[in-house]
Amino acid sequence: MVLTDRVKRRHLIGVAAGGALSATALGGCGLFDGDPEPAPPPDALQPLLDEALTLAAAYDRAALAEPGLAERLAPLADDHRVHAAELSRVIGRPVASGAPASGAPSGGAAESVATLRKAEQAAQKTAAAACRTAPADRAGLTGSIAAARAAHAEALR
Amino acid sequence: MSAQLAAALAAEEAAIYAYGVLGVKLTGAGDRAEARAAEAVHRARRDVLVSRLAALQASTAPAPAGYTLPFEVTDRASAIKLAAQVEDGVAQAWRAVLPVTTGADRATGLNALVDAAVRATRWRRLGALTPATMPWPGRA
Repeated sequence: MVLTDRVKRRHLIGVAAGGALSATALGGCGLFDGDPEPAPPPDALQPLLDEALTLAAAYDRAALAEPGLAERLAPLADDHRVHAAELSRVIGRPVASGAPASGAPSGGAAESVATLRKAEQAAQKTAAAACRTAPADRAGLTGSIAAARAAHAEALR
Repeated sequence: MSAQLAAALAAEEAAIYAYGVLGVKLTGAGDRAEARAAEAVHRARRDVLVSRLAALQASTAPAPAGYTLPFEVTDRASAIKLAAQVEDGVAQAWRAVLPVTTGADRATGLNALVDAAVRATRWRRLGALTPATMPWPGRA
């Protein structure tokens, strides 16, 4: 339930920021001057997008390190790229180039099939948690991503 | 919500029927154990749906006595192909449940969707069918 906690914290930050803004608007006289304008709270789908990009990159590295696995891993990497494109479309922000730094192994060591499988299982939990609390128009999207990640873990057995 | 749950019930009934037909064409002990486990899961989900629909006082059509299979099941290969297709169909029915539910019903639908997608991939892996996965399980 780590993710749920993160989402909740983000919500809290968003609420706190909203409160500060309205206080400024009401007071009007610079009580909060000097506070930088808060960035908009990240979309609840952002962690799923980050994971999709991280996983796609991890598959690419593993396939490069072990070309014998490339044929088996390429379709899984492609699934994640399809997810990333759809998620960034729904979030309404362009896909950042390259994978985010978080989750990338230091030294660029290639993941084994076993660690890829573990990463899929962890990412599946993120997507499932997102699905359980998603608004109706995102329930199918997040549910299918959770199912795809679980199926990837099965394919890597 | 009742319409989507009723469609999921129809998909589960069809899956139970299909496993009865395809199970006898499977050859290995591993295949057969997998088919038996899958059929038990579909029966359990059917029972959950019947209770839920009764609680919602929704009427449901009785399960048909038989089904027209999409192709003839004659051997292990066609049995595994049918099993994968059946699980894909179950996944589609449960995915449609997600947008119209919240809370426990949403969680039930999600678990069923994930389970069907995993089983479909397992059958494709056992049958050496490629690709074993798809980007959007449950999206028709």
